Amino acid sequence: MTADPHRQPQAPQTSLAANAATAAGPDVPHTDATPVLTQDFGAGSLYALRAAVAAHAAQAGVPEPRARDIVLAVHELAANAIRHGGGHGRLLITDHGGTLRCQVTDDGQPPAAQAGARPQTEATTADDAPWPSEHGHGLWVVHQIADHLSVQSGPGGTTATASFTLRSPRQEPA
Amino acid sequence: MQLENGRYGRAIGAGVHCAGGAVAAWAEVAVAGSADIQITELTVSDHACLTFGEPEELLDLTAAFVRDGLVDGLKVIWLGGGTPAQAVAELARRGIAVEPAVASGQMTAAAWEGSLLSRQAFTADRAMAWLTAQMTACRGEGFAGLRVAVDMSWALRPLTGIEQLPQFEEDLAAALTGTTAAVLCQYDRERFDPVTLASVAAFHTRSVAAATYHADALLRICRQYAPPGIRLAGEIDYQAEEPLALALAEAIRLDEDITINMAALAFIDASAARMIADAVRSLEGSRKIVLQCHPAIAARFTLLGADALPGVSLVIAHDR
Repeated sequence: MTADPHRQPQAPQTSLAANAATAAGPDVPHTDATPVLTQDFGAGSLYALRAAVAAHAAQAGVPEPRARDIVLAVHELAANAIRHGGGHGRLLITDHGGTLRCQVTDDGQPPAAQAGARPQTEATTADDAPWPSEHGHGLWVVHQIADHLSVQSGPGGTTATASFTLRSPRQEPA
Repeated sequence: MQLENGRYGRAIGAGVHCAGGAVAAWAEVAVAGSADIQITELTVSDHACLTFGEPEELLDLTAAFVRDGLVDGLKVIWLGGGTPAQAVAELARRGIAVEPAVASGQMTAAAWEGSLLSRQAFTADRAMAWLTAQMTACRGEGFAGLRVAVDMSWALRPLTGIEQLPQFEEDLAAALTGTTAAVLCQYDRERFDPVTLASVAAFHTRSVAAATYHADALLRICRQYAPPGIRLAGEIDYQAEEPLALALAEAIRLDEDITINMAALAFIDASAARMIADAVRSLEGSRKIVLQCHPAIAARFTLLGADALPGVSLVIAHDR
C-alpha cells in the first residue's frame, strides 16, 4: 500500500511489453470490458479464427482497413502461439469503451524440440530458395499496426495483447 | 507497345507439383501416355486439350498461346464466349498488344456463333467445314501456320447436336495430322463431367494445364504465363511457405521479369509477405518485378518496404 512505486518489482517482460494493467492503453479503464469473442484455435483452424474476427469486427462497426489490421494482428499472435506455444491457444477479444483488446494466450508448453525444429525444415525443404521466413517477424508487424502491444511470458504460458483504438466509420477518413 | 519477344516462349515445363482436389480429379482423365505439358511447349499440328479451374487461368493460358503464336508468325484465331473487343482488351490487360495483328488479319477473335455454331445448333460437319476453310485461307494468306484456341464452354449449354462433340474432336484430330495447324480445346474441369472429359481427352495429342504448386479450398498457387510469373488466389499464411518458395524459385529461374499476381488474394500474413519481399530483394534490382494486388494487400508490402526496392512496382488491382 505504501510502497514506493519506483521500487515495485517488475514482472518479466519483453522489449515490446508494457504493464498488464495498461495493456488496453493507458487511458482505458480495465474494468468496463465487454466480451466480444472467445475462440480456441490450432494450426488447422487459423482460417476460421480469421473469419470470426473479421465478422465480429464488421459487426462492431470497425472500418474495413482497420478490421483487416485487426485480423492480421490476431493471426500473427495466434500463429506465434501455435508455433512457439504448444500448437494451440485461445483468443479473447474485449471492447473497452471504443478500444478493442485482442488477447492471445497459449498453454505454456514452451517451444520444446518439435517447435524448435520447424525453422530447420523450412530452410531445407525450400530447396533453392534463399529466403526462409524469420519467425518473430510477425510480432514486429503487429507492433506496427496495433496501437499497443504487450507480450508477457511466464511458466504458465505466454499472453500477447494487441489493442486497437477505434473510431466510428463516420469519423474515419475515406 | 510491342509484343513481348520470344524469350518466354519456350520455358521448360514445371509440371504439376501438388495434387489438390481439383488437380487430382483431372489427373484421372489425363490423356493416356502423355503427361501435362506447359502451354508454352505447344507446336504445330498439336491437338491439345487444356483444362482449367477458373476463368483467370483460362485467360492466362490463352493469352500465352496467342502471344507465342503471334511471335512465331502464325495466324491466330481465338473462339470464345466474349466479344472480339473483350478479347483484345483481355490480352492488352496482360501486356499483349494485338491491335496491329488484328488490323493486319494475323489475329482474329471470333464468337462461337458463325464458326462452330449456327443458330445455336452444333453439327460436327459444319464446325469441321469452318475449320478447314480457316486452314485453307491461312495457307493462301502466306502464314507459316495456324493456331486456334477454342473455349469449349459452349458445349455446356443446352444446344442441339451436343452429342456430336466427341465426333468433332475425333475429326479434328484427323484433320490436323501432318498440317501446320494447332488447335487448343479448352475445357472447364469444374463444369464438364468426368465422363465427357474422358471421352474427348483420348482424341487429343497433348494435355495442357497450368503448373500448380498448391490447390485447396483456401489457397491456390500456380504459374502465370502471360505476363510470366506466379498467381496467388485465396488466403495465404506461413503454412504455405513450402509451395510458395518453390513457386517463387521457379519463376525466378524461368523468367527474367516477373509478375506476382495477387489480385485474387484476400489475406497474406507476415511470413508469406516477408518471403515474397525477400525473394524480390534477392534479385537486387536486376529485373523488373510487378507486385499486383488489392490496396489491403499492398499495405503489407509497403510496410515491409518492398515497394521501394529497385525494379519493383506495386500495381494496385481493383475489382473487375
